[in-house]
Amino acid sequence: MTSAPDVDPQPIPRSLVAAVKDLRVHFQAKAGLVHAVDGVSFEIRDGETLGLVGETGCGKSVTARSFIRLIPSPPGVYAGGEIDFWSTEARRAGQRPIDLLQIPQSEMLRIRGDRIAMIFQDPGKALNPALTIGRQVAEVFLQHRSGEILTALDPNPPALLRRAARQRSSTFERLLLKVPPWRGKMAKLTRRLDDLVAKALTETQIPNPRKIMDSYPHELSGGMKQRVLIAQALACNPDLLIADEPTTALDVTIQARILELISELQARLETSVLYISHDLSLVKEICDRVAVMYAGRIVETGTTEEIFSNPLHPYTRGLMAAVPSAAHKRGELAAIEGNVPELVEPPPSCRFSSRCPFAVEICRTTDPRAIPISEEHSVACFAYETGDPTELPVLEHWVS
Amino acid sequence: MTAVSSAAGALAETSSERSVISLRGVEKHFPIKEGAMQRVVGQVRAVDGVSFEVRPGETVGLVGESGCGKTTLGRCISGLTPTTGGKIYFRLGDEDATRLDEIEAVPEEDRNSEQRAEVERIDSGHRIDQLSGPAWRIYRRNCQVVFQDSFSSLNPRQLVKDIVGRPLRVYKEASGVELTERVVSLLESVGLGRQHLYRYPHQFSGGQRQRISIARALALDPEFIVLDEPTSALDVSVQAQILNLLHELQQERGLTYLFISHDLGVVRLMSDRIAVMYLGQVVEQGTALELFESPRHPYTEALLAANPDISSETTVMRGLPGTVPDPANPPEGCRFHTRCPVATPACGWEIDDAVGWLQTHETLLGALVDVERRSNFDATLVFQDAEAAAAVGAAMVDGEVPSAMRDALAEVATDGTRVDMSFIPIEPVRLEDVGGGHLTSCILHTPR
Repeated sequence: MTSAPDVDPQPIPRSLVAAVKDLRVHFQAKAGLVHAVDGVSFEIRDGETLGLVGETGCGKSVTARSFIRLIPSPPGVYAGGEIDFWSTEARRAGQRPIDLLQIPQSEMLRIRGDRIAMIFQDPGKALNPALTIGRQVAEVFLQHRSGEILTALDPNPPALLRRAARQRSSTFERLLLKVPPWRGKMAKLTRRLDDLVAKALTETQIPNPRKIMDSYPHELSGGMKQRVLIAQALACNPDLLIADEPTTALDVTIQARILELISELQARLETSVLYISHDLSLVKEICDRVAVMYAGRIVETGTTEEIFSNPLHPYTRGLMAAVPSAAHKRGELAAIEGNVPELVEPPPSCRFSSRCPFAVEICRTTDPRAIPISEEHSVACFAYETGDPTELPVLEHWVS
Repeated sequence: MTAVSSAAGALAETSSERSVISLRGVEKHFPIKEGAMQRVVGQVRAVDGVSFEVRPGETVGLVGESGCGKTTLGRCISGLTPTTGGKIYFRLGDEDATRLDEIEAVPEEDRNSEQRAEVERIDSGHRIDQLSGPAWRIYRRNCQVVFQDSFSSLNPRQLVKDIVGRPLRVYKEASGVELTERVVSLLESVGLGRQHLYRYPHQFSGGQRQRISIARALALDPEFIVLDEPTSALDVSVQAQILNLLHELQQERGLTYLFISHDLGVVRLMSDRIAVMYLGQVVEQGTALELFESPRHPYTEALLAANPDISSETTVMRGLPGTVPDPANPPEGCRFHTRCPVATPACGWEIDDAVGWLQTHETLLGALVDVERRSNFDATLVFQDAEAAAAVGAAMVDGEVPSAMRDALAEVATDGTRVDMSFIPIEPVRLEDVGGGHLTSCILHTPR
C-alpha cells in the first residue's frame, strides 16, 4: 500500500531480544588466566536465528552458557561486559533490559528454562538416566508453571499441594499425600501435568507420547532424545532458545528432521534462536545472520547471504575453503596452516595473525576493532581499516 | 611347512594383482546372550553379506549412518575381528579371481573334487582367516588401520618415539639409532619433526595426534590402509590438513585406502569408488561421480538430500522419517523399505511393518494382545476386543496404511478378536549392475 514492492523498504530498526556487549569470560588455570571469551559483542533480534560459528575452543559454548550463567565459578570469571536481555513483556512495556550477569541468582532461576532455554549437544548426557521422560519434562512445568497449574485445578490451593507442586514436600507430607483425601487431589494434579507433558511431546512430533513418557532415556534413539530435549526447552514458550550444536551427535538424515522441527516450532512460537555450530554448511541452511568466532573473539558478522557470498575476514575465507565440496579437487583443500593460539593472557593482537597469510606488523601488535562494511556486515580486520571500500586491498580467494 | 611358505610366496608376488582386498559375502553376526547360562537368543547382523573389491592404488569410500556396520566391516578387513561368514581375500590375482567367480557360480554341493581343491588352494594362499606364519605377517604389515579416536588409539603412557617405532620393533626392521632415525623420517613425512620424539600423546592437539596415528600406520610401508573416520573428531581447517596429507601420501607411496566415513562431502572428495551401507548391507556402489550425480537408490538419494552442501546455491535439507530398524531382526526384502519414500508393494512388506504401523496408533497398539507368527509374512494378530480387530482389519483394506503396504497384502480376514493377515513373500534383494560397474539393490532401478 505504502510503497511499490520492488523498492527496498526503509530498514526498520528491529527490536532486540538480547545484546551482548564486550563480554569477557576468563578461566583461572595453572598457567595463568585463559581468556576464553575476550570482548565479544553481538545482538540477537526478535524472531531471528543467529548462527555462532567457530572451531573447537573458540569460546562459542562459553558465550552461550554465559546467557544463563552456567559457567562454573571458580574457575570461570565473568571479567567484564554485559548481556542485556529483553523478555517479551519487558519489550512490550518499553522497559529497560535486564543484565543477565548482574541479576540475583533467584531471578536467574526464574529466567533459566522459562524465558531462555537451552538445548545441549549430547542428548544422551543431558537427560537423567534414572528418571522417566515424563517426570523430566514435568519438572520444567513444576519449576515454572506450578502456580498456574494449581489455580486451574483449585482457585485456592492448600499449602500442602502448593508445596508438592513446587517439589518442596517433606517426607511426612509425601506420605500424607498418599492417603485420602489428598490422594485424589494429588492424582488430579498428576493427570493435569501428564496432559501438559503429552501436549509438549506431541509438539515435537514424537509418536505415541504417552508411551514415551513412561520410558527411560536409554530406551530411546538419539533423535528421539533430542526431540524430548526440544520439548523440554520449548515447554514454557521461551523468548530465546540457545541451541548448542544440537545435531552434532546425530546422523545426517535425523539431523535434517530435527532442524526442520526446530525451524517449524521457531516460526510458530516466534522464538529467537542462538544457533551454535562448527558446521558452516549447516549454518548456511538455517540461520538468518551469522557471527564467526575465532579464539574468543568475533571476527565477522553479517547476514548469512553476505557472509557466504562475500566473506571478508581471512579466517572466514579459510574456513569456507576448507569445507570439502563438489568444487574441490582431491589434495587441494585449502587448509589453514598452524593451530589455534594459546589464550593464556594473550598480548594485544589479531588472534588470527599467527596463521594469517596476509598478516602485517600492525596485526601482531594491536587489537583490531569491528569495522562496519555495510549496514549489516562488519569485520574485525586491519585490511579493511582504510574505510573507503574502493581502496580495500583485494584479498584473493584463499590459496593454501 | 611347505604349504605355508608357498602361501607366503603367493602373497609376495604382486604383479598380476587384481584386488588388494576382495570381499565375498562377508558376514559378521554378534550373538545376543541372555540369562545365567548365557544362552544365545539371537544374532545382531552387523555385517550381512557384503561383497566388493578394493583395487591397487584406489580409494574406496564406505558411507552410512551410525550403526550400519561400516566400522565393523573395517575391523573385519583389517583382521581385528574374525568374520562369521563369507571370505576376505588379500592380494587376489586376476586368474585366481576369475577362477573363483566361475566356481562360485556353481552351487556348493554340485562342485566336483577338482573345483573344491582349486578353491582350497586359493583360500589357503589368500583368504585372510586361513593365512598363518609368514603369510599372515605379510598380510598384517601390509594392512594398517588409522582409527577415529586418537585419544584411545594412542597409548597415553608411551612416548611418540615408542608408539611410532613399535611396528618397526615388532617386525625387527630397526633398532637403536636407526630406529630413532626411521621414526624421525616418518614423523617428518606427516608434518611433525624431531622435536616431537620425546613427548606423550596428551601434549598434542587432535590434528597432531591423528598425524601420529598416520605415521604409525605408515611405519612398515604398507600397501593398504583402512581409514576409519580419520577426521570426524577434527575441526574443518584441521580436517583439510589431514585430508591433504592423506592424498599426498597416497601419491608418494602408491597407497590403497578404504575410507570409512559418515561425512558425504569428505567421502566424495577422497574416493574413487563409493559403497553405501545400510543396516549391514551395501545398497549401492559406484564411482564417486556417478553416485553423487545420478544416485540409483532411494537411500543414497535421502543421504544426499539430508546433507548440507556449502557450495550449492539452493538446497533444502530433507530428513528421513523413522529410525534405523533393529539389526538383530532386519526387515525382509529391501531393508530400507520401512523408511523409503518410494517403496513399492514388492519391497518386502511383512508382519513387523503392520505391527509397526499399529504403534503410531495409541489405542490400537494397547489393544494388541498377541501376534501368532507363522512366518515373517503370515501371522494372526489377536486383540482384546472385536472392535479393535475390526478397526485394524478395515484400516488394512481401505487405506489408512501406506498404499504400498496395502497392495502387498495377499490376504486379510477379521474373525472376532483375531485378524489373519498374510503378505506376498519377497526374496532378499541382490546388488545388480545397472551399467559401468554401478551396482544398486533397489528394484526400481534394476531390470526385472
